[in-house]
Amino acid sequence: MGQEIKLLDIKNLVKVFTIGSGFVKSRITAVDNVSFDLESGRSEIFTLAGESGSGKTTLARIILGFIEPTSGKILYKGKNITEIKGRKEEMWFMREVQPIFQNPFETFNPLKKVDSYLYETVVNYGIANKREDINSAIDEALNLVGISFQEIQGRYPHEFSGGQLQRISIARALITKPSLLIADEPVSMVDASLKMSICNLFKDLKEKQKVNVIYITHDLATSYYVSDRIAIMFRGTIVEIGPVEKILIDPKHPYTKILRDSVPEPDPEKRWKEKIKLSSFEEREFLSIGCKFADRCPYVMDICKKEAPNDIILDGVTVKCHLYSS
Amino acid sequence: MSVLKVKDLKSYYISEVFGIKRTVRAVDGVYMEINRDEVFGIAGESGCGKSTLIKTLLGMIKPPLTIVDGEIYYDFGDKKFNILSLNPDESRKIRWEYISYIPQSSMSVLNPVRRIRDTFKSFLGAHKKFEKDELEGLVKEHLSALGLPTEVLNAYPHQLSGGMRQRVTIALASILKPKVILADEPSTALDVVVQRGVIQLLRNIQEEQKNIIIIVTHDMGIHANICDRIAIMYAGKIIEEARTDEIFKHPLHPYTTYLIGSLPKIGDKSYRVSAPGSPPPLSNLPNGCSFHPRCPYVMEKCKKEFPSLLNVEDEHRVACFLVNKEDDNGARD
Repeated sequence: MGQEIKLLDIKNLVKVFTIGSGFVKSRITAVDNVSFDLESGRSEIFTLAGESGSGKTTLARIILGFIEPTSGKILYKGKNITEIKGRKEEMWFMREVQPIFQNPFETFNPLKKVDSYLYETVVNYGIANKREDINSAIDEALNLVGISFQEIQGRYPHEFSGGQLQRISIARALITKPSLLIADEPVSMVDASLKMSICNLFKDLKEKQKVNVIYITHDLATSYYVSDRIAIMFRGTIVEIGPVEKILIDPKHPYTKILRDSVPEPDPEKRWKEKIKLSSFEEREFLSIGCKFADRCPYVMDICKKEAPNDIILDGVTVKCHLYSS
Repeated sequence: MSVLKVKDLKSYYISEVFGIKRTVRAVDGVYMEINRDEVFGIAGESGCGKSTLIKTLLGMIKPPLTIVDGEIYYDFGDKKFNILSLNPDESRKIRWEYISYIPQSSMSVLNPVRRIRDTFKSFLGAHKKFEKDELEGLVKEHLSALGLPTEVLNAYPHQLSGGMRQRVTIALASILKPKVILADEPSTALDVVVQRGVIQLLRNIQEEQKNIIIIVTHDMGIHANICDRIAIMYAGKIIEEARTDEIFKHPLHPYTTYLIGSLPKIGDKSYRVSAPGSPPPLSNLPNGCSFHPRCPYVMEKCKKEFPSLLNVEDEHRVACFLVNKEDDNGARD
């Protein structure tokens, strides 16, 4: 074979949601033929970026096993996760891949003490069962995120700030020593002055603990700061994928260009000048054939409205656009 | 010439449940002066009182929100008033014609079971008398001036995308050509591309109608893009206020320095540091300067007294003992 087993290998993933029933049924392809992979043996932060409704959260939920894909394969360390059977395999997968959610105030039950979550995680995953071992496992995980056990012992979620709670939920995810964290908008609910400390934490975990992170966000500025590679999603497809420096500094796909230019720069000298065109009815874009961006694209050609573009590899970047097919 | 003048405004949330009195000092001694034809930004983290400030400026005061102290003067030339002393009838007349409001979530403004046209009709009908055709023409004219398709009038709110809904709300807020538009996080719930469209629209309206826009958001990128002047709020107080380029280039307050310094930029991967600690709860503020537990330059004085907002340079005001060391006696008018 000679081919190395990848950490995560996603092949032609499709998820179709059916909306309504009877005569007014309509089908929306939330994830449309998505493929990407994460190499094993090195740690990286991979960003899935896109607007709301681009399918990035659906993709994350499929990888975590919350939603079944309509078709396609997800291989985690060579194992197809849609075919996982039995408690033992399931446990192995859940230990390896851990989620971090958007709103830390919703991840914790307001009536339960925060440390009880950490206890339960240790016990449920069978990491330790003696009191001292459990405590040391919790302490170890909390140390990684820069919180001491004394700080959280016996306290309820409302006693913490959003930033601290998000750190605790990252610590909870780290208890099982996962190889892959899937973080869905982990900083969007965190206060502005603390956002970067969470971003720095992810970088730190990547360097020191060799954890891979799939970072899902709509915020291109933080994704440039933390990540190594980025995939830009639009209406269910990945339109451009590659190293973050290449894609965000010199975007190829017209959609990425517009997205990149629309990030408000915190610099009064770089105000927006050109005007842009917006879609007024979203559903039309989902249902259109051909390239879904064709209606708004400044470089639209006849072929764009008829055929969906294929992947084109162009100096280290994979882009889906007819502009580059010769 | 200042159109809006806020003097020592204190609006607190005071609640009493089972004999336990709780006071949340959301806006705690704010002074502001806003001039004609100006876009003024208020920046701050969640829970610093910026939305409460906007609500108070609009005169939307409902318990538990209580005005403890202060005055808000509007001076429109033909009309001068303190909004806090108006009765409900008078403030209803002023709202939308003189002062209008753009909320964060447009779904809560537009009635979900009525077409956009009907919302416009009942909205305008409540303020002025119109002939039947005149009204429709006015709405269409306004929408096309803003670059929105007139077909949205036939749609129900759920049929529109989030960005279009927000732009319809902005059209609604600006159709009577108000003198002041208060915008509370007008683009926060939107995607970046749509956000750009919404900010573009706000800027067009301002250029054409020459009204004051007070925009509240935590996104410094938006402030950099649209504002003439910016005030930074922390724990219910304005701690720094200056022209936009000044605040981005020479922030003086340690909190502002952290806030500006931690902003990620595309094309710059250098290490960013966040402010240490976390913002204090408004119901339990520390003594002295509210930022002192997080401040790296904290002095003994900071723990006891609150620094007042003083002029440092032309149009640049800061509330910090570090910056205004000597002139503590320069009390405000």
